[in-house]
Amino acid sequence: MSHFYLTLYVLVWPVIAAIVMAVLCVSLFRDIRKAKREGKDLV
Amino acid sequence: MYQLSITTVLLLLLGFYGLTFLVSLRIGKKKENVDSYMVSNNSIGFGMSAASMTATWIWAASFYAAASSGYKYGISGALHYGLWGALMILFIYPFGKRFRQLAPKAHTLAEIMHARHGRSSQMILAGSNILGSVISLMVNFTAAGALVEVLSPLTFTHGVLIAGAGVLSYTLWSGFRSSVLTDFGQLLAMIIAAVVIIPMIFFQLGGPELFTEGMARLTPEQSSFFSKSAILEQGAPFFVAVLAYAIGNQTIAQRLFAVREDLIKPTFITATIGYGAIVIGLGMLGFLALLAGVQPLDGDLNNLIPQMAATYLPPFVIGLLFIMVIGALSSTADSDLSALSALVMTDVYGKNIAKGKPNPTTMLWVGRVTMIVATMVGVIFASLKLDILTMLIFVGALWGTIVFPVIASLFWQRVTNKAFTSAVAAGFSMFLVTRFEMLPMQGVVAVFFELCASVGGGVVIGMMAFGFFGRNAGLVFGFLALAALAPFAVGFLRDYPVLLSSLTAYGVSAMVCVAVSFRSQNRFDFESIGERVVAFQTKAR
Repeated sequence: MSHFYLTLYVLVWPVIAAIVMAVLCVSLFRDIRKAKREGKDLV
Repeated sequence: MYQLSITTVLLLLLGFYGLTFLVSLRIGKKKENVDSYMVSNNSIGFGMSAASMTATWIWAASFYAAASSGYKYGISGALHYGLWGALMILFIYPFGKRFRQLAPKAHTLAEIMHARHGRSSQMILAGSNILGSVISLMVNFTAAGALVEVLSPLTFTHGVLIAGAGVLSYTLWSGFRSSVLTDFGQLLAMIIAAVVIIPMIFFQLGGPELFTEGMARLTPEQSSFFSKSAILEQGAPFFVAVLAYAIGNQTIAQRLFAVREDLIKPTFITATIGYGAIVIGLGMLGFLALLAGVQPLDGDLNNLIPQMAATYLPPFVIGLLFIMVIGALSSTADSDLSALSALVMTDVYGKNIAKGKPNPTTMLWVGRVTMIVATMVGVIFASLKLDILTMLIFVGALWGTIVFPVIASLFWQRVTNKAFTSAVAAGFSMFLVTRFEMLPMQGVVAVFFELCASVGGGVVIGMMAFGFFGRNAGLVFGFLALAALAPFAVGFLRDYPVLLSSLTAYGVSAMVCVAVSFRSQNRFDFESIGERVVAFQTKAR
């Protein structure tokens, strides 16, 4: 396997983790706004 | 090895637990509702629930074990830990949707078993859940002690005590609600640390050039993506445990009952991806250590991650790693405390002592006292550095035997309490015989158990297919797996007692459960579960 693919194999995981973090932060922001709008507790 | 100073470590711990405590104060209520204390409002949003599921499933051992696997098995090692761990979350959600459909107001899975079968099945499940959570709590406190001991001049016991007090402080008052809320911040800390640490260590070791010299250090097995030893020694036993851990773990069930019902699928898929990326990524540090020729300190593979960090990272990033591990172990420990309190509140006090008519105030204090006692037990056992391997083996086996009876009970009207308990008893007994080789594993005896294990393999594959594609697909895939495994297993599996015994537990419990159920004339009405499993306190107090 070439060095390029091995490098990709090692570094792809933090990239995916960062994408998941972004998705969760956006969703949480929406959840907070919705809870405030409806006057409900977040948890 | 580089160590953080006592002041730095104390400031980091005080900052972490202090901030978490302040966050938990924002949701604290003078009079908590008992149902919210266990499962929140049954309608938590996607972001919060996916983060909580991910953070809970990642415990400190996830990092150490993934890195150990990467170091030991090379290129595929981290995958054989992280991928199967991630799939545990994925494979449970189709069944989770069924649990929610049958009992929308449930607090524990054992409570549903009480409504389905009665006390003995409930207590088998609740007992194994309690034991599992106490062990998990102990392991997480142990990890805190070990981390503090390795990265600072403080002792192991200091680390255990600080973690125990810190986790209890923010979980005690609001229970599960605190656990879920604080999980979000703890997961962010973990992800930020992983995103920074993995590339930093990779480039410190020389970046892509590391492969030029490093690949020569690997054995042919370690440099193969399809390493037989990685599959048989790491991947396969983990794969077999996929459903057992998910069913046996109250922390997962609690989140299944807490998330908004229509968000179960996206929540669990996101948690699968998040868990996989973080854990496999950190497992890569073990692979990088192998490529760089790093020798683990004192020959202990658990030292790999702190050792790599201390050798190749600046002090600030070591502090970040410290917080990452503390976040991982705390998020799981607070979930364990919430799980234990829900089990004792619901299955011990609510269903058995109060006979379904609990006093909410008493029930709430039962939960809080449970947390205090569990923390004390966890701290004491962790400080004693007990060998938990045997306990883990027993709990894992018990979980393996209950998977089929639990799932079958919630889909098949014929399953009875007798079928459930006899399946668990038979599966567990046969597990003991194979795991501890009470009979010589040769000749007819070995063939018998290898065939039972093949059935177990068919059961695992069949149940996974059943969860996603329905009964017919489950039966077809199950029998195909059995037919494919049996010729391969006979004469072979006897040399792998861990795998043989785990599969035997699944196979025997499934066969006994099916056989006893077919003798029954009962036809259970599933609608009655929702009528029996209700909220303990309908109005907020």
